[in-house]
Amino acid sequence: MFRTTILASLLALSAAVPVLAQTMAPTIDQPVTITFYNYNLATAGLGAEATQKLINEFMEANPNVTVEGIGYSSADASRIQADLAAGLPVDLVQTVFSDLDFSVNNFGAQALEDIAPTDEITAHMSGMHPNGTKLGVLNGKTYGLAYTFSTPVLFYNADLFRAAGLDPDAPPATWEAVKAAALAIEEKTDAEGFAGGITGVGAADWLFQGVVRSNNGEVISRDRTTLKFGEPEAIEAVTMLRDLYDAGVYENYDFAGALDGMASGHLGMYLQTSALQGSLVKGAEGNYELRSAAMPRFGEKPTRPNNSGSALTIHTTDPLKQRAAWELMKFLTSEHGYTIITSEIGYLPLRPAIVTDPNYLAGWIAEHPLVAPNLEQLDRLEPWDPMPGPNYRQITKTLMDAVEMAVFGGADVAATMADAQANAQALMP
Amino acid sequence: MTTEALARPMARPLRRISERSGLNTAAGHVLMVLLSIFCLFPVYWMLASSFRPANAMFETSLWPTTMSLDNYTQAVDAIPIARMLFNTLVFSALSTVFQLLTGILAAFAFARWKFPFDKLVYTAVALTWLVPFQVVMIPNYLLVAQMGLLDNIIALILPNLAAALAILLLAQAMRGFPKEVMEAARMDGARNWRILWEVLVPNLRGTIASLAILIFISTWNEYFWPLLLSRTAENSVVQIGIQMFMTAEGNQWGPLMAASTLASLPVLLIYIVLQRQVVQSFMKSGIR
Repeated sequence: MFRTTILASLLALSAAVPVLAQTMAPTIDQPVTITFYNYNLATAGLGAEATQKLINEFMEANPNVTVEGIGYSSADASRIQADLAAGLPVDLVQTVFSDLDFSVNNFGAQALEDIAPTDEITAHMSGMHPNGTKLGVLNGKTYGLAYTFSTPVLFYNADLFRAAGLDPDAPPATWEAVKAAALAIEEKTDAEGFAGGITGVGAADWLFQGVVRSNNGEVISRDRTTLKFGEPEAIEAVTMLRDLYDAGVYENYDFAGALDGMASGHLGMYLQTSALQGSLVKGAEGNYELRSAAMPRFGEKPTRPNNSGSALTIHTTDPLKQRAAWELMKFLTSEHGYTIITSEIGYLPLRPAIVTDPNYLAGWIAEHPLVAPNLEQLDRLEPWDPMPGPNYRQITKTLMDAVEMAVFGGADVAATMADAQANAQALMP
Repeated sequence: MTTEALARPMARPLRRISERSGLNTAAGHVLMVLLSIFCLFPVYWMLASSFRPANAMFETSLWPTTMSLDNYTQAVDAIPIARMLFNTLVFSALSTVFQLLTGILAAFAFARWKFPFDKLVYTAVALTWLVPFQVVMIPNYLLVAQMGLLDNIIALILPNLAAALAILLLAQAMRGFPKEVMEAARMDGARNWRILWEVLVPNLRGTIASLAILIFISTWNEYFWPLLLSRTAENSVVQIGIQMFMTAEGNQWGPLMAASTLASLPVLLIYIVLQRQVVQSFMKSGIR
């Protein structure tokens, strides 16, 4: 009898767990205010305008919800940290993918599976590219929904290609071809050959992760316990970059230097996030023909591009606010949301169907062919792995400093990367 | 020996000295002109770039080939720059007034009296200068959050009510002030309050003016504290407004240069009006 009671209780409890776990209120039946920490709102660019537009549209459609947009600097997220310490409500956050682990473990980001009804999650995610939905998954749970994200694109100056005797209709597809094209540009024009957001002051590790993966290496193991950027595939990738630098075709620029070099028409090729497309188009207008191609590959190995950008994460534990934040999250990642994000900011739509839908992006895509390689890379998209633990930024810095020294500083590639891996591994949790 | 005979052999060296001194002066002037150009060029480039359209932003011609006011329109449309300039002015002016006031009172106490642990307190004040603001930024933030002053210009001013630099500089100046003058005032029946405001302060107005300029300029350029504290552009300062044109999607150099030009104008104006005092203030405080 006693055993039966225990079994019955356990069964009842197990049945209740999903219900208890999904803490969100079923509806928004009373006025509620949520905070939305958004780094686009801390800027004066198109990103801020598009974000505010979406927030306004959402509030108009949901009169019970007031969204307080708060701009913050994604460079250090100190505002989020300070506000949490001050006991202020942090409800929904635009989280940079590299900060996802820290956000989950220190800022209280909630797994969607724990707070939202499963059928709603399934319904909302249907129509999303499966590679895109994996981007915000950590330890098997979806903590973030990809919001403003992109893949690496090789921008190139078609006029410089012609001047160098190259065919702009056949852009370099491999790193060997990038080197050859850059050498031709350096030799036959006054311009410089190639720059990339892989390295340089302020470069995060997102693009470097993609380059290493494309050589079938990893920066960190799949279970995110072991660093692997000192292993042969990663060393080979860094050696390739060093070879470009030694050949005199890889420019050692910081973010602004490389972007301005490309925008001004003084750079032949530039590998960076497609989010910069708007800035590059403005510089190129009336000056030169700007084109784009997919990320270069190593020989015949298919590329494994990963994403830059941000996800939306829910942090509030209040059921009503969770519902409001979830509704806003769904709105921002809806067909309409991604249409605004893609056409007005320059990021990728996570819903492939809207690309050909005349109600959404079809017209815009036809007018903006530069986005094509970016869309094509969605099928091979892999996540930008966040470094784990409280030292995650130091781990990334150790890695990127080592890459910098190995590529531009003349240091021994294998020894530098191995040392950095050992030092950074000691910082892992 | 006539005066003429004496004068004759001296004429050549004098002329030589005078020629050499003329050459030195000319070389000095040339050097100063070159240094001035070197210093002024970035300011000129900011101004010139603020008039260049986006697709001509990277032209290297000294004078913009095409000129437009679009960047100013964009800057004014994108951020509430007038409001930000007003906030910055209030922030800088009130910080200056309060730092001078607290500085004068504290410095007078240190300079005028010997009291228990005065040297220790003075050293403690000096040591606060060595603590970077970043260290106290979060505790300050928590305090103003508890006071309900987030996104409020009062919270911007609060940590700037007193500063070690003002106290140290003024205490030093007051210690150097002739004690006889203060004693004479005392014999004439003046009490400490009158001595401070009617004897010391008027006589130290050069130092106070220099300090005021230093505080005003450094507060005008303040970035980290307003960055953390301000939650809306309307309640922020112009330095944050300028930074808003640097985005993850690229830098908008045109509006950024236009906003920078507008932000520089008040400080440039102060510099033009109070040029002598500004130079003196930097010389006195040992800041170049």
